[in-house]
Amino acid sequence: MNGVLGIAGYVLREAASRKFILAFLLGVTGVLVTLSLSLKIEVVDGALAASRLFGEVMDINIRAVDVALKPVFMAAAGIVFYGGILFGIVSCSDFATSLLSPGRIEHLLALPLRRWHILAGTFLGVMSLALLGSLYGSVGLVLIFGVKTGYWTMGPVISAMLACVSFAAVYSVMLTTATIIRSAALCAALGGITLVAGIIAGFRTKIAPFIEEGVSRELFKGVTLVLPRLSSLAKAGMDLAASTPLGVQSLTMLLAGVFVFGLGVLALGFWWFEGRDY
Amino acid sequence: MRQRRRGLWLVFAVVLFGLAAWLMLSGQGEEEAPPPPKVAFPNRMRPAERERMEKRRTYVAPVVDAGTVAQQQPIRPSDPILAALPRGKGKTAVVIEANAIRHSPIGEMLLECLMNREGAELERFKKETGVDPFQDLDRMVLTDDGVILSGNFGDDRLKNLLTSRGSTNYDYGDSARLFEPPVPQQRPDGSTRRGGPQVGLWNNQMLVFGRSADGVKEVIDRVEGRGPDEPPVISESSTYGEMYGVLSSEQLKKLFPKEQQELAARLAEVAENVELHVDASSDFAMTAQVKGPDAAKVTDLGKSLGGALSLARMQAQAEGKTEMAQLLDFAKVRPDGDEFKLELAVPLEVIKQQLAFCREQQSAQNEKPQEASPTP
Repeated sequence: MNGVLGIAGYVLREAASRKFILAFLLGVTGVLVTLSLSLKIEVVDGALAASRLFGEVMDINIRAVDVALKPVFMAAAGIVFYGGILFGIVSCSDFATSLLSPGRIEHLLALPLRRWHILAGTFLGVMSLALLGSLYGSVGLVLIFGVKTGYWTMGPVISAMLACVSFAAVYSVMLTTATIIRSAALCAALGGITLVAGIIAGFRTKIAPFIEEGVSRELFKGVTLVLPRLSSLAKAGMDLAASTPLGVQSLTMLLAGVFVFGLGVLALGFWWFEGRDY
Repeated sequence: MRQRRRGLWLVFAVVLFGLAAWLMLSGQGEEEAPPPPKVAFPNRMRPAERERMEKRRTYVAPVVDAGTVAQQQPIRPSDPILAALPRGKGKTAVVIEANAIRHSPIGEMLLECLMNREGAELERFKKETGVDPFQDLDRMVLTDDGVILSGNFGDDRLKNLLTSRGSTNYDYGDSARLFEPPVPQQRPDGSTRRGGPQVGLWNNQMLVFGRSADGVKEVIDRVEGRGPDEPPVISESSTYGEMYGVLSSEQLKKLFPKEQQELAARLAEVAENVELHVDASSDFAMTAQVKGPDAAKVTDLGKSLGGALSLARMQAQAEGKTEMAQLLDFAKVRPDGDEFKLELAVPLEVIKQQLAFCREQQSAQNEKPQEASPTP
């Protein structure tokens, strides 16, 4: 286990040294600071009476704060979910390939580590990074709106956690790809394909009737059965952020399913990595 | 050994994929979740309502002063009910589209409930008057001075009933007949025996109930073009929704409960009148447009009202009244200069739940005779 944590720490140190990640953190901070300084909100007895962004009146309707903020939190959850995954795909695509690059992998294999420790450590490191980033952004957003309106909700934070679990499924595919071909571009491409496939899988019941009945429809249903339902999780995250009723039957099971899919792909990566010669 | 451990990872992966598929299938479900409720607020006239408005322009008032400029203008038919409405500021008139409400989902539920409870009474009323309220009644107007009904009132039984009250009746204007009740009489015990309201029947299509004969005559005068030149309190363009009208601030004050009299007094002070529109075609959605001469005071009132609604919603949430909280989710105030629009809605499902007691009572009544009857 120490080996896994050691590799995870190594990944985090590597991330900290990259200007790309630093720029991301500065960007999120900038958005939060700008929002807190430029947004003026007037609340009367729990109703949002007026809101101004950069001095411009935003929404003239007077309604309960939590109802008025629903679209804001939903949009924020959507941006955190899809934007976070996309950013993660791009920024983390070369972590695994650089760890598995010639010279470095031989050095790692010479250490008293099992092979799967290297992959599991990389996965853990990247996931810690994603968790910290999403927590930073979502807690900041909740704090800003909480202080300004007096309405406190954990919805956006929970929604950000859902985005992390979804990214775990996507990153496991990228990591496994890196064990087969050491190409950051290919890793990112497969991460992107997984994201798109995950969006489609979330809408499988809506899409299926448009496919010709028979083998093709059953094939579509069969393939999307295994794929992570990322769009469903994104929708659930948006519902949670806005404190609206969930559209899924059981969020826990859906969440566990997406995470277990990630573990399954990771296990496939372990199997392949164990058999490779370096 | 290493090969065996490697094989285990593959088996593990397959098991995990199977587990993931089952978890996701159970978690998401195969059935699509119903879309979130959406309420359409009555904010403008819809094509069907425009068509309804045009069809109601049926009456051409006779020209009184021949040879004047007025005669040279093209004669435009008008809606007699709108013409009958009071004129000027500070007046109240609320039109209930009885026929439209009766054919709406809410109306059908209410009708079912009413028939279960008062079915026999309604049948008796139909027999005595020849008027079927569910078929013959088109609109009902509530004003400060009385009630105006429009529809089909041509049955002789109704006229006979009105005449048989011992009232004097006489023709008035071009097409109206007035039925005046007998003078109130003092009973031996000191109480007064009232003779009922003043009634006017216009053209067999409008019944006017008023407190005084003069009030009823004024209504008939307005319909037949002898009223003041001012426009009616409800314009044609405002005849949308299943219920619409204008409430004077004084009338509005009376509608507020005792605990909200402070807000009611403020509303009466700031607003000149309130224009109401209710849509019952699917859900029950209401818009109330509050207008006043002082824009700042109107905006402040809008904020207070928004705050009151928000507090009511929070209270409902805290007390676990989820239906009420959902209902108030749709509540909002939209300020716009010297006026603001308040939107409130009750989803149809909530109304169904509220009226469930009526069905339960009926099914309980249906079951009772079965229980009482001896089994063969």
